[in-house]
Amino acid sequence: MTRRRLALALIAMIAVFGIFVVRLVDIQLVRAEELNTQSLNKRAIAVTTYAARGDIVDRDGVVLAGSVMRFDITVSPKTIPTNPATFTRGSGENKATVSMEQAAAEIAEITGQRPEEVLAVFTEDPESDFEYVSQKVSTEQMRAVRDLGIPGVYFEQRPARIYPDGSVAGNLVGFVGTEGPQNGLEFTEDDCLASTNGSSTYERGADGIRLPGSTVTEQEPIDGGTITTTIDHDLQWTVQQMIAEQALAIGAESATASVTEVKTGQLLALADYPSVDPNNVSGSSPNNMGSLAFSTPYEPGSTFKPMSAAMLIDQGVADPMSQVTVPYRWVSPEGSVIRDAAAHAEQRLTLAGVIQQSSNVGISQLAVRLPSKMRYDYLRAFGIGERTEVDFQGESAGLLSSSWDDQTKYNVSFGQGVSVTGVQMASIFQTLGNGGHRVPLTLVTGCTHADGSVTDAAPTEGRQVVSEAAADTVVEMMETVVTGGGLASQLQIPGYRVAAKSGTAEIASGGRYTSERVVSIAGLAPAEDPQYAVVVTFVKPSTMKTSAAAAPTFKKIMTQVLKTYRVAPSSTPSPDLPTTW
Amino acid sequence: MSAVPIAHPARSPRPIRDDKHRHIEIVASRSQRRARPRLLAAIVTVGGLFAILAAQLLLTIATSDGAYEISSLQREHSELARDQQVLVETLQVLGAPQHLAAAAQEMGMVASTSTAYLRLADSVVLGAPAAASASSALRTAPDGSPLIPNRLLTGVPLSGAAGQAALVSPDLTPVEASVAGAPAGPEGPASVPSEQPAAIPSPNTH
Repeated sequence: MTRRRLALALIAMIAVFGIFVVRLVDIQLVRAEELNTQSLNKRAIAVTTYAARGDIVDRDGVVLAGSVMRFDITVSPKTIPTNPATFTRGSGENKATVSMEQAAAEIAEITGQRPEEVLAVFTEDPESDFEYVSQKVSTEQMRAVRDLGIPGVYFEQRPARIYPDGSVAGNLVGFVGTEGPQNGLEFTEDDCLASTNGSSTYERGADGIRLPGSTVTEQEPIDGGTITTTIDHDLQWTVQQMIAEQALAIGAESATASVTEVKTGQLLALADYPSVDPNNVSGSSPNNMGSLAFSTPYEPGSTFKPMSAAMLIDQGVADPMSQVTVPYRWVSPEGSVIRDAAAHAEQRLTLAGVIQQSSNVGISQLAVRLPSKMRYDYLRAFGIGERTEVDFQGESAGLLSSSWDDQTKYNVSFGQGVSVTGVQMASIFQTLGNGGHRVPLTLVTGCTHADGSVTDAAPTEGRQVVSEAAADTVVEMMETVVTGGGLASQLQIPGYRVAAKSGTAEIASGGRYTSERVVSIAGLAPAEDPQYAVVVTFVKPSTMKTSAAAAPTFKKIMTQVLKTYRVAPSSTPSPDLPTTW
Repeated sequence: MSAVPIAHPARSPRPIRDDKHRHIEIVASRSQRRARPRLLAAIVTVGGLFAILAAQLLLTIATSDGAYEISSLQREHSELARDQQVLVETLQVLGAPQHLAAAAQEMGMVASTSTAYLRLADSVVLGAPAAASASSALRTAPDGSPLIPNRLLTGVPLSGAAGQAALVSPDLTPVEASVAGAPAGPEGPASVPSEQPAAIPSPNTH
């Protein structure tokens, strides 16, 4: 080998090598980004893994609000065959040529649209790559359309919300709109319920199969947590049905009812009439979308009297045997006029009798044995004038004025001149039934996250408002309403000792009291050891304006509660407290 | 081309054959022999290399195969998950209290408002049982729609008389077909549904 040949060979090699290096640099460094993205786009797919929004369940785990997957049928007008506008379906003997009009008709039959509608979507904008044919169709419908095998028709997943029980607890559960939760627990508990969708990318081959090992998960899907409420859904429906039936019968504008577990302060049922069906929000009036028991305060009337009596007994200034002389119309030392509901001759009543006969005059005479400031403090301790611990959406604190004039200081003792919400009333009777120990009302017990951890929502610290003796004595006095009062026959539940108090409150409008009424009954059973407090209220009844309108419903609801929870009948008879002297 | 020392073989006393095809071999020295790489090692290395490449090829094939299987299983899983969701949804809707109450009423049952219990331990009836009457039936709104509506229940059929008839066993002929109702035994409740108005049909029980 001569030197020259060697040199030439070397040069040739370097030249070839140089070309390769240049090419390599060009691809690897200069055009790297562009080529990378090109290739990735052709292979990498971004995927959203939907995570389910959390459920809202009742105390037994029955789903009140659940997440489901619905589908959108979409079409890509660019890719559907246009010339000719047909495609073949099937193979071999079953081969058939199907026109796009026929395909549109088939889709329309499944989704319940008109064929022209569907065809319009196909043909309206031939350049478009994405048009909705039908939104939120069910799984069966999606599968049926998919089996038609129409080219250019695709599906997208769309998470949706269903409320299997409809308007049972509808006001409490709330609903979800297109922009997220709008109302009720769906809205206030959204932190717990909201889910985080997962996102990942993967690469796939030409035949659409995922390349193994190519999945990159940027975000894991996190399901929403489950909200557990204290509601019993069967009892809730029963109570809603009962108040709805009675409200229609007496022509009431609205009604509420609550069932509270006395020992724990849990709301077993909280019914509103009218109520919203979260599956059909547009079918209800916007006024009915909240919970009236939380949002709408009213002057309670005589159902306040047991609380007034409890204050007196707690302070030792009165007892069930305290005697008062009660005229129908009484003028106080300050010159305020108090009247009883119905005209009567002068009566000699004990405090028990005042409760039984629901005498405004009687309770007024006794209530002022305590200074107003002390009574105000008691009322605040009972929870009047502030929102309950449930902190529901739109909850009102009611109205308790901090300075009372000479008329108000009497009126408050029999529940006028002060306004409370339905749940505040429930809380009062929970306190009276629980030996004077007020336990905070709870509607939501907690949030169970997807990983199993539980965040407790409910504050359970209570406070002693009146002494146990005072509360128990008041319950005994309320039993006289059921054993001997005017509504006794309508309130008695055979086999049980029931304590109740009726209330017919006047509604104030424009600075004066009108002839409209709010009738209510609040009670506890079994009276020897109260377990359940029921408060029933009807607003503005038109045919029957006394609390006799609420009595049958109270009895039905309390009976149902006692049966549902298998409360044993009372073994002792009601004490026969003397009501007159 | 370096000069390799060639040892001229010394004349041996043995007679030299005149062999033209005499094979001359260079015998390596011991250190050269040791320095030479072993054939076995070479075979093992190259063979190992091929084995690794082959194994990798097989694994890649298996993985790709697995990818197809995963894809089809994932499809199956999502279809089954959809099936399950449809069934769970149906179950939840059918369990709605409105539906149960309406279906029960269709079968002739209404809620009783009396508080009476039967204590199984000693068959004692506690409380005062009273028959449910037609007034206990569910009332609807003036336009006939349920008072507690549930839009998910539109189109869901109630069990109805047709379903009820199917439940009655064909070989048991009810003796008193005209007098329907529970036997009025000493332990049974005092109410006999046969006194009910004809509007509420009672199931044939035994």
